[in-house]
Amino acid sequence: MKRVINYNNTCSMRFFMENSKTFHRKKIVTIFFGSLAILLFLAGRLGYLMIFQSDYYTEKADELHERERSIKAARGRILDANGTVIADNKTVCTISVIHNQIKDPDKVVEVLSKELELSEDFVRKRVEKYSSIERIKSNVGKEKGDAIRAYNLDGVKVDEDYKRYYPYDTLASKVLGFTGGDNQGIIGLEVKYEEYLKGQEGMILTVTDARGVEIDAAGEERVESVPGNDLYISLDMNIQSYATQLAKQVMETKEAERVSILVMNPQNGEIMAMVDVPEFDLNNPYTLPEGTDTESLTEEQKQEKLNQMWRNGCINDTYEPGSTFKIITAAAGLEEGVVTPEDRFSCPGFIMVEDRRIRCHKTVGHGSQNFIEATMNSCNPVFITVGLRLGVEKYYHYFTQFGLKNKTGVDLPGEAGTIMHKMEDMKAVELATVSFGQSFQITPIQLATTVSSIINGGTRVTPHFAVMTADREGTEIKRFSYPASEHIVSEETSATMRMILEQVVESGSGKNGYVEGARVGGKTATSQTLPRGSGRYIASFLGFAPADDPQVLALAIVHTPQGTYYGSQVAAPVVRQLFENILPYLEKMDYN
Amino acid sequence: MIVAERRFGNNQRRSKPAGQDIFFDYTLLFVVLFLLAFGLVMLYSASSYDASLHYEGDSAYFLKRQAISTVMGLVAMILVANIPYHFWERFAAIGVIISIVLIFLVMTPLGYEANGARRWIRILGFSIQPAEVAKLAIILFLASLICKMGRKTRSWKGFFTVLMVPAIIAVLVWQITENMSSAIIIFGIAVLMLYVSSPDYKRFILLGVVGVAVCVLAVFLIVKLSESQSASAVGVRGGRILAWLDPEAYASGKGFQTLQALYAIGSGGILGKGLGQSKQKLGFMPEAQNDMIFSIICEELGLFGAISILLMFLLLIWRFMVIANNATDLFGALLVVGVMGHIAIQVILNVAVVTNTIPNTGISLPFISYGGSSVMFLLAEIGLVLSVGRGIKLKDL
Repeated sequence: MKRVINYNNTCSMRFFMENSKTFHRKKIVTIFFGSLAILLFLAGRLGYLMIFQSDYYTEKADELHERERSIKAARGRILDANGTVIADNKTVCTISVIHNQIKDPDKVVEVLSKELELSEDFVRKRVEKYSSIERIKSNVGKEKGDAIRAYNLDGVKVDEDYKRYYPYDTLASKVLGFTGGDNQGIIGLEVKYEEYLKGQEGMILTVTDARGVEIDAAGEERVESVPGNDLYISLDMNIQSYATQLAKQVMETKEAERVSILVMNPQNGEIMAMVDVPEFDLNNPYTLPEGTDTESLTEEQKQEKLNQMWRNGCINDTYEPGSTFKIITAAAGLEEGVVTPEDRFSCPGFIMVEDRRIRCHKTVGHGSQNFIEATMNSCNPVFITVGLRLGVEKYYHYFTQFGLKNKTGVDLPGEAGTIMHKMEDMKAVELATVSFGQSFQITPIQLATTVSSIINGGTRVTPHFAVMTADREGTEIKRFSYPASEHIVSEETSATMRMILEQVVESGSGKNGYVEGARVGGKTATSQTLPRGSGRYIASFLGFAPADDPQVLALAIVHTPQGTYYGSQVAAPVVRQLFENILPYLEKMDYN
Repeated sequence: MIVAERRFGNNQRRSKPAGQDIFFDYTLLFVVLFLLAFGLVMLYSASSYDASLHYEGDSAYFLKRQAISTVMGLVAMILVANIPYHFWERFAAIGVIISIVLIFLVMTPLGYEANGARRWIRILGFSIQPAEVAKLAIILFLASLICKMGRKTRSWKGFFTVLMVPAIIAVLVWQITENMSSAIIIFGIAVLMLYVSSPDYKRFILLGVVGVAVCVLAVFLIVKLSESQSASAVGVRGGRILAWLDPEAYASGKGFQTLQALYAIGSGGILGKGLGQSKQKLGFMPEAQNDMIFSIICEELGLFGAISILLMFLLLIWRFMVIANNATDLFGALLVVGVMGHIAIQVILNVAVVTNTIPNTGISLPFISYGGSSVMFLLAEIGLVLSVGRGIKLKDL
């Protein structure tokens, strides 16, 4: 203790006596100024961060704090030629709960389970789950959603959403296509015109804490969504529906595998109907046809079946056109001048091409006939002769000039290309078979388009559906235009072809396509499917009316009919019935 | 300066008999009280979200606990301020021994872990951070030791003798309580006290240069190592250095807290978002009420608020200087220098960490960050300083 006091004394004494106070003081002052200097430096650093780097870090911080909730845009509707809405949106609601905002959990459980017809346990589990937002049920009808909203329950969120809705279910399913979970087009026009239909999503910017819970006080920033444009198409639901009926009918009576019917305006390429039965339900596009054993299928097999179901035979598949293709051979021959309607031919029932004996469908032969009669008889040897007169090079030239080598450019996805011999591989035998429509494949839309172009005066048209886009009020926004190449055949040849084809229907093989009081031109076809000798046929008929000034062209293709399989007996009546109904209708509609 | 002081002192003059006029530093007291009150407000702002989430909706959980510690600290401060500071000199050695024992107690079942570090002990329901005790003990011990050694401290031998005990304690704090920042502070306090007691500069400049050189070399080696091998090869502390140099490259790991602090500071701008309006405290910023509270101050009160707080601390340091310079004896002066060093180092390191000026190391902001031991021992230290200040006779000023 004594020592301590001593030291205290010495301490005090030294502090005063040694004049050391000066250096102590000096040193303490240096500490202060050292601190001052460092604090100044730190203040400078703060200034740098909070003035010059402020924008950068503010943006980064906002990114961290703000959550985007998108507002879906209403998808544009699709309207047919009469302005009938054929693809629409239905408002559906998603019901969710926000754990932190629920004030009366029992009431919430009671109301939601009652209104949504869910078990109380199911709802309670979700209500009591500690999460930022928990979905209870989606795709709830708008009325239900409104009813739940009317309870005004804290922590219950009713979000409205749009769901695609097709009022005609299966009608034109393969043309329209459908949309997926995000309202994006999957097949058909829905995907082709996605950019016009989809609109622009809006968003709600909200500020949240680190758990993602919205902070009410921070308010929200809203960018409204822009609805998509309506798409007006040339398809006429009346024609489509009648054509579908006919197709179903013939499929049933002839126990056919598939029936395709294409109706288009040969003058401008507008497609009025495109049927490919069996069709599927657009409102349930993932449901396989009834009777399909889905249990035993793997996911892959199921997807394969779905793809098969969605396939549009009119554009996605090719077939051997058979005798309908004689129209093309005839047009090429007439155009090149290797044949005239008056030229006479003799058919013994077969023709020798090099060492091959190619039979006519009438084995006893058609005897003596002029070119018009030969077409009416659909006489193979005559058309082989015409083809051979043209020669490979010329024939190939016209094949190309008619546009058969290219795709038609129809505004649907997945158009198949033409499968044709290479010119250098084409010898007399190949040329002979091509001349009457065999040994190569094209799509139905290709045939219809090419024939349209031949009979409309020689203008190669682009087949299409889309006419224009418009806003909700119907004000036009964009009118679509399609390429057309003129003079693929002369006007004269075109007129001759119309005349010949009218004869075919009037008194030739196509007389089953004759419509009382109308001038119809056309051509039948019966083609055997590959492999030959399987007994499987494709019966088809291509007709147009009025024959002197074609305004409508129809192509009916019946795949694998049972019993009678001739195009003239199976397919021609289909087109006749169709024309009987739609010709007066089109006249009324001012198409004529 | 002295002239100014005298005038100031005169203003503080009490109506007491002439010759007995004594000094009481109301400025210091005011600054401390202001910082405490401000600290509680900011603590509530920074912690209420976290508290209401984790303590059954009690948004004032941290505020209440801190308020209790603050009141206890103020009582301690008043007590200490009214006891002549020489009273404590007899506890100089025992204080160091007690703090060493407490540090070792962290390893026993009495110690407990929080926020991933084992730094606390719990005795009779009170939890104490031994490092805080050690800081006060070292200040007391060195003030006493340096006085006892007198001129001997000026030799190299004395130099190392004085630094030996704080060095040992610093190493213990660093290794046992895994608290490198407290170790730095303890050693820093010791160096500053020794610096004041010796007329020599060269030795300290040399020490400073060596220290800086070692740091630069370490950083250089770590960067080289991480480039030649991988970022994981440099260990935890090395990782912190790399995250310091480029926090955005380590955004999901070591750089996360630093980056969050920069977001808070940067987004505060000049005027800040307003009191209570911080977004970063809403779960984004780890330790928002603790080591990182300064970044929340920046975010809410802006550059203006941040610099105001730095000014308040500067004012505090200035008062320490005034009191130290006018202390009646070396022991008193050294006590004040110790406290001055403690607070100055801690403020500087905290702000430097939060602004990513130096690598991240857990360090709290005196009087403002959440922490009971810290605020109690700091207030006890302020009590000591006030007690030293009371010894000043106005005629000496």
